[in-house]
Amino acid sequence: MGAINKKSLFVLIARLVLAGVFVMAALPKIEDPVTFTNSVAAFRVIDLDLSAWVALFLPWLELVLALGILIPDIRRSSAALIGLLLFSFIALHTSAWLRGLDISCGCFGYETGEPGTNYSWLIARNVVLLWFIFLVLRQDTRNNPVAPNS
Amino acid sequence: MPRFLREILTITALTILGAAFSLCSGLAPLPWAEPVLAPGEIRLIDARALDVLWVDARSKADFTAGHIPEAICLNDEHWETGVVALMSTWLMNPRTIIVYCGSESCATSKLIADRLRESLPNAEIYSLKGGWDAWVQ
Repeated sequence: MGAINKKSLFVLIARLVLAGVFVMAALPKIEDPVTFTNSVAAFRVIDLDLSAWVALFLPWLELVLALGILIPDIRRSSAALIGLLLFSFIALHTSAWLRGLDISCGCFGYETGEPGTNYSWLIARNVVLLWFIFLVLRQDTRNNPVAPNS
Repeated sequence: MPRFLREILTITALTILGAAFSLCSGLAPLPWAEPVLAPGEIRLIDARALDVLWVDARSKADFTAGHIPEAICLNDEHWETGVVALMSTWLMNPRTIIVYCGSESCATSKLIADRLRESLPNAEIYSLKGGWDAWVQ
């Protein structure tokens, strides 16, 4: 019983950490979408026009998912989508790292700190968050084993 | 309706509402409108927050008359000497390079920035919106 409670507590903390991280990531980008557009474009994966659309919707999606992971009605889908986003971010950072791009991550809005991006840190951070998502999804599936289409 | 689909639709609807709020409140510019910043441009307020290597793309006379502290003079006339000085400075301490010219309407900074992107493909290079005028204001 004690072990179950400890596990549940850890998953709850993981859930709160994920929500906090995504809220903190979303708010500065919602406040300054133009700067975030440039950060997205700097990855040189999509052009500036498409970057503007990404900069408009992605921060709101992050905010909705951050809150959604705490709301029982939508928390499983929110967790799954956060997992997908984290996979995409890891792929994006790995791609930028391999191409030798020296750019700002833009993960939490415009980052000023040291020049150059520490890609290994960014990827490690997202892998840890992905592990949190795995724990959250596993607990949600165990607690609510009803088929998704019911 | 399958539960998963219902959840995804809820999340999508909330996201669209949020984006609509950004557009209606003026927080975000219309994505299909002319961008406030041209591709590769940066505002002075953002540039000031960075560790920057400034590049002055104006004429030597304008550079001598006044320039941003520690800026390197680099224009088409003195390209060879300027680019050598820039590269040696940048290689010692790689950082964001921002090129500026005289004013909002000048295009030299964008042209020099484009040339520099070819010479230094790994560098983050911008042109300063508003140029020298923005700095002296």
